[in-house]
Amino acid sequence: MNKFRMAVVIVLILALTTTSFYGGKYFITSMSPALFPGSSGDEVKRLQQSLKNWGYYDGGIDGRYGWETFMAVRDFQSSYGLKANGIACRNTLMAMGLSRIAQKGVAYAAPQRISDEQLLARAINGEARGEPYEGQVAVGAVIINRIRDPKFPKTIAGVIYQPGAFTAVSDGQINVPIDSNSTVVKAARDALNGWDPTNGCLYYWNPATATSKWIWSRKIVKKIGKHYFGK
Amino acid sequence: MSFREKLLDLKRRLSDRKMYSIVVVVIAAVAIWGIYQYRHAAKLRQMLDNQYNRSFYEMIGYVNNVETLLVKSLIASTPARTAATLQEAWRQANLAQTSLGQLPVSQPVLANTSKFLTQVGDLAYALNNQNMDGKTLSEDQYKTLEKLHGYAVSLNNSLNDLQAQIAGGRIRWGELESKGPTLFRRTSANLPAQQFENIDKTFQDYPTLIYDGPFSDHLVTAEPKGVTGDQLNEDQARQKVISFFGADRVESVDNAEKVDTDPIKTYTFTVKFKNVPEDQTASISVTQKGGHPFWMIYNRPVNEKKIGIDQAKELGRQFLESRGFKNMVDTYYLAEDNTAIINYAYRQENVTIYPDLIKLKIALDNGEIIGFEGKGYLSAHTERTIPAPKITLEQARAKINPKLQVLSSGLAIIPTDYKTEIFTYEFKGKLNDKDFLVYINAENGKEENILMIVNTPNGILTM
Repeated sequence: MNKFRMAVVIVLILALTTTSFYGGKYFITSMSPALFPGSSGDEVKRLQQSLKNWGYYDGGIDGRYGWETFMAVRDFQSSYGLKANGIACRNTLMAMGLSRIAQKGVAYAAPQRISDEQLLARAINGEARGEPYEGQVAVGAVIINRIRDPKFPKTIAGVIYQPGAFTAVSDGQINVPIDSNSTVVKAARDALNGWDPTNGCLYYWNPATATSKWIWSRKIVKKIGKHYFGK
Repeated sequence: MSFREKLLDLKRRLSDRKMYSIVVVVIAAVAIWGIYQYRHAAKLRQMLDNQYNRSFYEMIGYVNNVETLLVKSLIASTPARTAATLQEAWRQANLAQTSLGQLPVSQPVLANTSKFLTQVGDLAYALNNQNMDGKTLSEDQYKTLEKLHGYAVSLNNSLNDLQAQIAGGRIRWGELESKGPTLFRRTSANLPAQQFENIDKTFQDYPTLIYDGPFSDHLVTAEPKGVTGDQLNEDQARQKVISFFGADRVESVDNAEKVDTDPIKTYTFTVKFKNVPEDQTASISVTQKGGHPFWMIYNRPVNEKKIGIDQAKELGRQFLESRGFKNMVDTYYLAEDNTAIINYAYRQENVTIYPDLIKLKIALDNGEIIGFEGKGYLSAHTERTIPAPKITLEQARAKINPKLQVLSSGLAIIPTDYKTEIFTYEFKGKLNDKDFLVYINAENGKEENILMIVNTPNGILTM
């Protein structure tokens, strides 16, 4: 009896605590990152752009933390009363408003902007995971063809998220993150670069599962894997 | 213990005071949880409805503006005024089209409405460009605009009717896409879609060949210029495929599929290679006429990078030359994941001809060609008669913004949105650490296009 009561109490506590966590945010403390001579990458580019905007830096935005960047950071630090050592430490970055770099942990935990490539790869993953490579490129090509067709929205996001257009969007499979080494990413790239195994098709359907009568009125151009492609 | 005894036992336990209170608490907790979930769902539903309403109302506003602007453009007397009005009509039509794409109405139902909005936008854009050059509307163009305005008026009216129904609560967005019981769907959900279908019917008979814009139908179906030669049967095409890959490598060529719907009619094959795992096959499509390669995809894992981009460019050029594509020069490239995608353009008499484009995908582990894309080349390639430029290099250069530091120059033929070609001077220049390509028309000195070159670690791209 006691055991039973304990179980009930535990279940209640769990239920109440988990609901109070809904919508809560998790913060990850930063690992005291810094940018210094020899650093390179997009973060250095953002640093250089900010310094350039404020007139401390007049070199190129090349993403390399070289001599000029070093001097610019030093000038910035001395005019803001920071320790002028030419190293963009946490305090310097915070002073510059580049807190996203300063709080590296948070920046990577937050959802990042998904590029067209990643979005297309996710759509292909949701729609044609088990298909041959050619079939995956074909699904990507259909999305690209729709952008160029006046009957459809004009952006990749517009086409993919058009209500009811893709089942992978309706059931949320589109949100599954994709590993950048996955074949669907390669397929998305090929489709973006203009490879089109469908010869300009705008629709595809799986003959075994298609429920729409309308889709069968399309002219079938070809069959790749399990899908029919048509115009 | 029998079932009856169990029930009695449960009853006895429930009458225990402590047990009783626990059961009450559990029921209360479940109820609270249920109410919370219900309200949460209702809130989401409401948010979604609001989004749909917003898109819908915005679309009505934009369509209304398009209609007004079209009629204004008919009245405007100076080309400058007409241009300004049409530019705004183009913008509003694009916005309307974007809002339309967000409505939860199935795509086929709204296809023609969407097409109408795009074409209004494109026509407005094309006429706007013409008017900016100081040319007035021709009689035909005036008639076309008048006709489009008529369609815009009827679209506007139907949308207003629909709006009245939605505002009156007779149609709910949720009903449109809800997957509730079939009975419920049958009675209510079909209704709004049919309302939209009625709107779309207005455009069923709307002529598709109104003007020569980017989406004009006759251009899409135009005869591809680069597809030359005799009609081949399947076996002849198969021979072409074998010689494309090299007879010593090919194990078999199977699964021929004939595609006749496209302007470029093709055979597609699956190719197996010798000494390669079974599942690593290539797909290739060659034209029925002449057996020209159209596209090829060979998906194999690419090992560690062993050759540089310059070597890859040269390997690609040699490959093209040996397959009969002479005088191809590399233009831009992109290298990712140990593969390089290199663009090659045709060059005739020192003029780079960008429409005749072939893309090669090269594996950087051994230099093998693992992708081919020749749609541009097949659609556009022909030996052109290139006229002598009417303005000199110096005159063209004087047209460029003096702030741009010119690094190099040359002659080029570039494609336009309307699938025509322009003969231009191409200048490569620098401004604020950024590289640009500027195209000046070699006939009349007009600045035709500006491209920004993006130098990334992965390659050179244009935007």
